[in-house]
Amino acid sequence: MYKAYKNTDAVQAFDPKKQQSSAKSPSEPLWQKRENEPHYAKLQDKDSQIKNRYGKPIDLLDITDRESPNLSKNRSLFINNNPKVGANPHRNKQHGFFFNADNCIGCHACEAACSEKNNNPAHIAFRSVGYVEGGSYPDYQRLNISMACNHCDDPVCLKGCPTRAYTKHAEYGAVLQDPETCFGCGYCTWVCPYNAPQLDPIKGQVSKCNMCVDRLEEGLKPACVSACVGNALDFGVIENIPENRQQCKTSIPGFPDPSITHPNIRFQQTKDMPLEMNRTDSVAIKYVKDQQGDFKPVVDQTQGKTKQWSFNKLNSKENPLVAFTLLAQAAYGMFFIVLVAALFNISTFVHFIHADIFMPFSLLSVGIMSFALLMSVTHLGKPMRFYRGFNNLRYSPMSREGFGLALFSTFVGLAALFSAMKNQWLNQVIAKLTTLNMHAIANTLPVEQLQLFSAILALVAGFAGLYYMNQCYQIKARPFWHHWQTTTAFAGNSLSLGALLSALIVLPYLHFTEQNSQQALLVFTLALLSGVLLEGIGLIAHSRAMNNSNNEGGAAHYIQRTVFGKSYWLRNYLLLFTILSTSVLLIVQLTTTENHSTTITLFWFVLAFVNLISAIISRALFYVLVIPTTMPGAFFWKNKSFEQHAREIGLADNPATGVAPTTH
Amino acid sequence: MLFGRKNRKPIIIPDKKVKAWKYTTCNYCSTGCSIEIGLDENQQIITTRGHAEADVNRGKLCIKGLLEHELFDSAGRGTEPLIRTQHFEPFLPTSWQKALDHSAEQIKNIQIKYGRDAFAIVSTGQLLTEEFYTLGKLVRACIGTNNYDGNTTLCMASAVSGYKRSFGLDGPPGCYDDFEHTHCLMAFGSNLPEQHPIIYWRLKEALEKRKFPLIVVDPRVTMFAQFADIHLPITPGTDCVLINAMLYVILDENLQDQSYIEANTHGFDEIKRVVQDYDPKSAQHICGIDEDTIRTVARLYAKAPSAMSIWTMGINQSTHGSDGVVNINNLNLITGNIGKKGGTSLSITGQCNAMGTREWSSCSGLPGYRYLENSTERKEVANFWRIEESFLPKKRGLSQTDIFAAIETGEIKGLWLIATNPMTSMPNTARIRKALEKLEFLIVQDVYQDVETNQYAHVYLPAAVWAEKEGCHTNTERRVNLTRNVLPPFANSKTDFWIFNQMAERFNPSNKVAFPQTPEGAFEEMKQLSKGHKTLDISAMSYDNIEKARGIQWPCREGEHHLTGEARLYTNGVFATPSGKANLIAINFFNNNEQPCQQYPFWLNSGRVVEHFHTRTRTGKIGNCNKFSPTPYMEINPDAAQKLGVTHQSYVRLVSRRGDAVVMAQLTHRVPPNMVFIPFHYHDCVNRLTLGLLDPHSRQPAFKQAAVKITAIDQKHAATINLQRRRF
Repeated sequence: MYKAYKNTDAVQAFDPKKQQSSAKSPSEPLWQKRENEPHYAKLQDKDSQIKNRYGKPIDLLDITDRESPNLSKNRSLFINNNPKVGANPHRNKQHGFFFNADNCIGCHACEAACSEKNNNPAHIAFRSVGYVEGGSYPDYQRLNISMACNHCDDPVCLKGCPTRAYTKHAEYGAVLQDPETCFGCGYCTWVCPYNAPQLDPIKGQVSKCNMCVDRLEEGLKPACVSACVGNALDFGVIENIPENRQQCKTSIPGFPDPSITHPNIRFQQTKDMPLEMNRTDSVAIKYVKDQQGDFKPVVDQTQGKTKQWSFNKLNSKENPLVAFTLLAQAAYGMFFIVLVAALFNISTFVHFIHADIFMPFSLLSVGIMSFALLMSVTHLGKPMRFYRGFNNLRYSPMSREGFGLALFSTFVGLAALFSAMKNQWLNQVIAKLTTLNMHAIANTLPVEQLQLFSAILALVAGFAGLYYMNQCYQIKARPFWHHWQTTTAFAGNSLSLGALLSALIVLPYLHFTEQNSQQALLVFTLALLSGVLLEGIGLIAHSRAMNNSNNEGGAAHYIQRTVFGKSYWLRNYLLLFTILSTSVLLIVQLTTTENHSTTITLFWFVLAFVNLISAIISRALFYVLVIPTTMPGAFFWKNKSFEQHAREIGLADNPATGVAPTTH
Repeated sequence: MLFGRKNRKPIIIPDKKVKAWKYTTCNYCSTGCSIEIGLDENQQIITTRGHAEADVNRGKLCIKGLLEHELFDSAGRGTEPLIRTQHFEPFLPTSWQKALDHSAEQIKNIQIKYGRDAFAIVSTGQLLTEEFYTLGKLVRACIGTNNYDGNTTLCMASAVSGYKRSFGLDGPPGCYDDFEHTHCLMAFGSNLPEQHPIIYWRLKEALEKRKFPLIVVDPRVTMFAQFADIHLPITPGTDCVLINAMLYVILDENLQDQSYIEANTHGFDEIKRVVQDYDPKSAQHICGIDEDTIRTVARLYAKAPSAMSIWTMGINQSTHGSDGVVNINNLNLITGNIGKKGGTSLSITGQCNAMGTREWSSCSGLPGYRYLENSTERKEVANFWRIEESFLPKKRGLSQTDIFAAIETGEIKGLWLIATNPMTSMPNTARIRKALEKLEFLIVQDVYQDVETNQYAHVYLPAAVWAEKEGCHTNTERRVNLTRNVLPPFANSKTDFWIFNQMAERFNPSNKVAFPQTPEGAFEEMKQLSKGHKTLDISAMSYDNIEKARGIQWPCREGEHHLTGEARLYTNGVFATPSGKANLIAINFFNNNEQPCQQYPFWLNSGRVVEHFHTRTRTGKIGNCNKFSPTPYMEINPDAAQKLGVTHQSYVRLVSRRGDAVVMAQLTHRVPPNMVFIPFHYHDCVNRLTLGLLDPHSRQPAFKQAAVKITAIDQKHAATINLQRRRF
């Protein structure tokens, strides 16, 4: 995992030597200390343990990249281009926050100190306080939770980020993110279970907690810790228990499963809490004490049981991603079906891929895939930086997804090019306009083999792209997606929508060239049926899994069955209808000997379009419903439903409301 | 770097590039935190930080203080004086000369036509002490109206009144250091973590060093109540009954400090007689705290080697506010807990300079804790100001709350409001609105042009704020602290000090009364007036010494220590009463509160949230404060909500006998099933509902005891109303 990586990065690397001219003199402090900084503001670690509770060395120099040229205890972080190096003897050890939940009063001083120091506008916060509450008056308890970045052992943000904006430093184990590298895809905000990376829809980029490494280098605790008024927040080398504290736990009620990322935060929470702790934000989750006294999430049926349509809510800021995934799958599927059928030597398709029509067919596939990729680019905060999407092939499924799909387009394009070389109609046009004899050129090359070879490469690349597209959604912090149903839906839609797209070309082509379309129809029916079956089986399993799950996935499914209940059932009925009708159609096709191809074609298209509708609803639900395992919010702050309300009524137009008026 | 990374990304962390730090004291609450304002090389204000060496806050600041520097150029600040003849006409900008000339002329016209007292002046707890002193001089020595008060009537009047009744003079006898020494702390109607976070932190620090019992009396389960060893969820407005019952137990079990009582108090026998009616057995049914708990708490408090009480609006904002304070003082006198380390009656004050206005503004009397009713003191001040003694009234005039009633009845025709916003802050908004509409002439002097009360003003005077000025605050523990002038006033606004001096020129034709031209000059006058005072002696202080010491507590007498004053009052057992003994005053409870009934079944409780200050004129503009509660809400018990069909985060309409309000429902077991709680910061909200019955002694309104019902409202309509009312 920690092996060297050959850097072929398109992002300009920061070279301190190059910028030496503008560098500050080393005497200038990284952070201006006050005179007589109080005890509470200073780092206190005397010693540390060798390994953390997960078995990872706390001294990070041991696991840092050995080939790194600057490997020395005292290399500079070049904070703000200042070469000064902190004198802290523990600076290469993993540090982390310590939160004493017994003491937090929810006074927002930590959040204010953080936002003040980092010049954050009201709608962005590196640290947020939310709460859970339980009991019955006056036996009532509120548990405030102040949370920022946990600078995890396994930084899923770093791994997920396609642009390599994230770095985990051996210094303090800080996971730092460079907003200038980021292109605002927001994928890190999906994978992080703690809502640490902050996507600013106005700036179109992510920023996050920087651990106040400038203060750390000067021997001071982070600004939030130093500002804490309840004596709840603390900071130091991980696994060290601060003065006057007794516990060092990895979880408190409301905190997501620490096994996802091994976060570097420890807790004290000694006071007994009521059996049930509720959230005040709109997430339909509460936390219930189990036999061991640990709190586990449980679906909280806050929305009642009434089934609604909520059609307008399906129209969300994730629309570009609905379009991207569906179109990419369809573009791949259309090419896949035709080519695989040809490879299976089904004569209609063998003929098809060698016909003139194959060039426009391929171009259509490339066009749709390109349009899909364009949609995904419009989803970026900074679309012009799209090219940075391939920078993290080493870790990021998103990089690999984009890379695979781009390669697919390239190879399909190549296939189209080779097909074009023997395209009679095109060659005639070229011959009329120029002196070029394409036919002669094509004859000197093994065009057919090249075309087939490119097409097979496209299939492989596209498959890889879609595989990683699926991997993008296998996120532990998003249990609603983290299920094999995502895979069957993506595969199923590739087949069913791919069948629709290719049928739209192949069947009219066969009709106008007066060829028999029975074989083709049978292939398309098989593709459609296997597609909808795959999707259906996945959905049944998913529904069962979510019904039995008590986490955010279960909560999302509960919302699916209530707030979106009618839309959900419409989708299910449509899918069931398609499955049954396509099965009937298949039987008819297999049993009838007479040529009813016109009727069957029409009927087939009706079913394919019904499936298109259900696929769109399905995918919209997929995005709208997901509930991440974020920290509990407060009544207004970090409450999605209040944010939505503020946008709807126009309260968000006042920047002091702290809700960005638009989502990006 | 880990994970195979070799190339560094630049690490950019905002660097404020502070070139100079200036010393100030926070301008929000009365904790009195020392703040340093950071200026960059262009003299632009870019940051604030807590002063690490100041004794009060020891480097800490709360959310408001951390973001306070953002208010200087926040939205809605007044840029030019504005003028109009009728409140329904549009304002026109004018010059300071014209605005002040016109104002002076109108004041004089009203005084000539209707009498001197027909023009009233209502000030604040937000100005600097030198400004209060100057305003007091302007009003008492030049304008000569006796209807002059501060908005401190809404927050501290009961504490003032209670201190005066018990000890002979206002002024909290204790200090924050008492936390380090006390063996039991009882908090009445005080939610320190939310209202005074830094005082809470001082208490928390003390508790972490040495644990002692914490008792919190509050009908809500606040964080403070939750962290208490014993929480007493009292029935609103019945604190006197609880204290009487505690006194009953203490006397019944002979736990009182008899020698202290005999040496330093009088009135003990009367108390002994009255508390006989408050046996915990019967008292429990009134105050809602069971008899066993009353006994436990009484014993705990009385047996502690030292015990202290703190209180805030839970006591003060009640028809028994002054009585409540007196009774807390009784409890501490009887247990011998006044004037000793860890034993005190410490009122936790509201506004940053509520103490300054109490000491020096002449609102309820004369400067330096002098009484109008005392002819010697009247003469003293008249001579000092070089005016006829007869020009001073012989008795204090109307309080702020009575001034509005007098506008209603037509006795008062003109009003000058200084840094206060009665349209949001006073109970029964409808009544206040009507009164303001009736005024023949209204001057609003405020930092913000969009302050809601300005809609009825005839003249608006844009004022400077905080470090745009220079002068002192006095905090809750009697610590005088300095704010240095850091930047010039915004646009064409002026310091309140300048405005008062300019106005004085128009009422002081022959310059008979001297008005120093600098705040420091005014401070020197105050020092002279304070020389030899029983308690409020600041004669050894100076601006430079105050800054050097990061605040000095009074008394700080000449010839004594110059960098520290005295931490506590009445340490020798001698009080400021004529006899030198403290008054034990028996308190009888009577129930005159509006209470929940069949028609209006809910108690209406109000209070503060940490991110906002008062009527939100400042914090509502600072996004990183405002975002935590950008719109009004009420806490309602989920059981009660379920019965009414009220859902979490939906709008409801509240109706009282005065009016209605629209708020968002927050379902929480923090409040009992028969109570709703609404933060008071929002315009056109909780005070449309409140009754505000007045305390007979302090004239402070009972904000926290009223009855409401909850009705449904169309959600879209409610959202529109909410949005409309949130426009500044």
